[in-house]
Amino acid sequence: MPATASIRKERPTEGLGFHKKPSKAKSTEKAFFWLFRLGTYFILLCSSVIFLTIFYKGSQTVFQTEFPFVNVEFLTEAPQTLHVFEYEGEQYELSDNNFRAFEEERGVEIDTTTYAYSGGGIWPCIVGTVLLVVGAMTIALTLGVLSAIFLSEYSKPGKILNAIRLSILNLAGVPSVVFGIFGLGFFVLAGPIFSFSPFEGYDFQFWPLPIYFGFAGWNVSLIAGCFTLAFMVLPIVISASEESLRAIPQGLREASLALGASKWTAIRTNVLPYAMPGILTSSIIGVARVAGETAPIMFTAAYAMRDQLPWEGLEKWTDFFFQGVMALPYHIYVVSAKIPQNEYTERMQYGTAFVFLFIVAGIALASILLRIRMRKKYRW
Amino acid sequence: MAKESKSGRYDLHSRRRRVLGLDKGQALKGLFGGNALVSVIVLALITFFLFKEGAGFFGQYRHDIELYRKSGLEYVEIMKKETDSFSELNRYLNSIRGEHASVLKERGLSFAEAKAELSSYEDFIYNFEDLGYPLREYVLEMNEVAIGARNMFVEASNYREHRENLLALGRDEEAAEVEVLDVDLSVFVEMIKEGEPDFLALNDKVAVGIIRLTDDLPTIGIEKLDDKMQRFKELALMFVSEMDGYETRLAEWDPQEPVGMGSAFASFVFGKDWVTNSSIQDWYGILPLFTGSLLVASIAMVIAIPLGVGAAIYINQVATPAEQNFIKPYIEFISAIPSVVIGFFGIAVFGEFVRQASGWAIFSGLDAFPISERLTAFTAGCLLALMAIPTIFTLAEDAINNVPKSFKEASLAMGATRLQTTMRIIVPTSLSGIISAILLGFGRVIGETMVVLLCAGNRIEIPDFTDGLATFFEPVHTMTGIIAQELGEVVNGSIHYRALFMVGMVLFLLSLLINYLAQKIVLKYQVSRG
Repeated sequence: MPATASIRKERPTEGLGFHKKPSKAKSTEKAFFWLFRLGTYFILLCSSVIFLTIFYKGSQTVFQTEFPFVNVEFLTEAPQTLHVFEYEGEQYELSDNNFRAFEEERGVEIDTTTYAYSGGGIWPCIVGTVLLVVGAMTIALTLGVLSAIFLSEYSKPGKILNAIRLSILNLAGVPSVVFGIFGLGFFVLAGPIFSFSPFEGYDFQFWPLPIYFGFAGWNVSLIAGCFTLAFMVLPIVISASEESLRAIPQGLREASLALGASKWTAIRTNVLPYAMPGILTSSIIGVARVAGETAPIMFTAAYAMRDQLPWEGLEKWTDFFFQGVMALPYHIYVVSAKIPQNEYTERMQYGTAFVFLFIVAGIALASILLRIRMRKKYRW
Repeated sequence: MAKESKSGRYDLHSRRRRVLGLDKGQALKGLFGGNALVSVIVLALITFFLFKEGAGFFGQYRHDIELYRKSGLEYVEIMKKETDSFSELNRYLNSIRGEHASVLKERGLSFAEAKAELSSYEDFIYNFEDLGYPLREYVLEMNEVAIGARNMFVEASNYREHRENLLALGRDEEAAEVEVLDVDLSVFVEMIKEGEPDFLALNDKVAVGIIRLTDDLPTIGIEKLDDKMQRFKELALMFVSEMDGYETRLAEWDPQEPVGMGSAFASFVFGKDWVTNSSIQDWYGILPLFTGSLLVASIAMVIAIPLGVGAAIYINQVATPAEQNFIKPYIEFISAIPSVVIGFFGIAVFGEFVRQASGWAIFSGLDAFPISERLTAFTAGCLLALMAIPTIFTLAEDAINNVPKSFKEASLAMGATRLQTTMRIIVPTSLSGIISAILLGFGRVIGETMVVLLCAGNRIEIPDFTDGLATFFEPVHTMTGIIAQELGEVVNGSIHYRALFMVGMVLFLLSLLINYLAQKIVLKYQVSRG
């Protein structure tokens, strides 16, 4: 490097007064490169416009100028009807709960204009999304990582393995809505149910045990959504984990085996620790994908509106899994396409989109940063 | 464990602990293998399940179409088409009058004056409309008969099924109470068929009437409108000559002609109508949805390919390291924006922006502008392009990055400029990778649901490709959109439900094909690194 620098110093190209006339090839080059540059920055501009619009308008809902600066009601309440009214010369906008308290306090009945879904907050949606993501990722990671270990470490290479690998890779590109209809047809309408008491539509009993079994379906429920989402990301998790396992040089395994370690010890001590960062990054991408998808949960898990939080009003503990939940992406869809639009719903829309984008983008950003760091750390 | 290892330090044959005859290594292998098996089975199950649910569709659809034919609805439909094209003529005539009215308004005529002006050929329009009335009345009547027959037949077969179910359960007494009518559809068809001479007579009357009326075409006195009047005359005469076609089709129609699986299949693959919950007949033709998906995806790709590939070339070949470190993660980050957020942005901001922008002065020379719809194929296409760009960019950048450095160095050493090196050496060498990146981007776009559901306008109609530029600014519906929109409301196991599964299957196969092609291209045209 220093050599080139010194050569440059000896032959300054600028400031001598005789610029070469740019050749035609040089000018076209410049023009083309500017075209590419503009195109690239155009992409950045477009996406920035989206980010900033949602950030700007959404922050007006989520944040406020007075203490505590964050709109606590928006983050901790359920969506409610908004009442807009005038009382004693003042304009009020109150969500349903507050409005009732207001009426009771003053002992009056007030005529109001109501706007569905425009008041309250999105707490149940956040809870639902978190539950769906946790459930789906637990299933997908357990199945996916263990399968990847088997495929890359234990299985014998051959035609069957290649076919499996190819089909997993292909399934990773299948549209999410296809997984959605699969989830509806399989889990929601025909999910297998075990029960200690006979239920409607059971197929047989594990005689003499009091266990009944049948493909009665799980209905629109948390568990159906978790499984649907899990199988949607499963191909991604498997192929990404396998890739990071296979990226570990064979020498590490061989050295360990040569020292007398068993196969599992070799994998545990010399493969997994180095593959872990890669697996972790891929799983975080999986989380972002699971959290961001709407189509698979539309018919498997999401309710447009539910009064109770998932842990409220349960008769038995299994009910927790067999209940529909609200979810952020579906809520955005409902408030932006299914209800009449007005200035009050707009606040709800942007607020929800902001929180949702914040969560998903945060996860994605973490995975990108992690990957950049890992790339620097491990180079074989 | 620690103790054991101490005592057996030199014991090379220490016994391994076995549980159920497996040692630890085997057990672990079993665990991993079991999980892999579960994953593979589940993924295979998805494929199997889609096919299973979809496969039932054609049988049911064939049965439906057969009933449609046997009940004479198909026959009535032919007559209906004729009256529909007559109404089309009427609409054309009225549009001329509407245009005339607006011209007069622009000239500043008062309402009364304009009315007087318009009334000069009012009689002509009314007379023309009146020609169609008896025809329409007749068709409506026949339609009632056919629908009645069909409904009776369906009801009867429902009862029969109910009775058989009861018999199967051994509830004979209840079964005996269920009355089942024997509906003979051919009686109704005969009834409809008997009217054919009446219909032909009506047809003749209309034909004579049209010829008589159009001979004496009123003139408006504005050149543009008079041209349209002439055009109307041509159209009307064309209609008269087409009447024979309808008549022969009616004469050739045979209620007993069998409906094969092939025609059910053709009606799905090439069917131009997707009509559900109709009182007359449901149609499940995938063509409007397929063309809609394709149109939106093409718009997206036209935007995304130059931008995505251009950005990849720029980042890899031109940009400074600082730019690279910023832009690459940024574009990857775009792919993390959830599709529903992009869709929401489209519905809240972008759609309105496109409509307003189409009214700008620079576009005034174009016929298609300004547009009236907010949510169109173009709106959705632009937003989808933004979703496809990260995919195309990342993969294309990888492909360009994989070109051996010596290629570039050799080219530069020969005196080629950087642009020449990029365009003639780097891009051609990595072309297979770039093409597969484009294919995968296309796959992503065609499978995207929320953006098209929210922003494409959801009108089930094949885009009119003769419109030129305006084609891209029409609302369309897509395969993914229809699944998301209608699946929530269908009855489990009904033909509509199965039709949606078939659409899902088409999507599934399409995405498999795209992925397969992408992989094949990469493998086949890979540069050898000799």
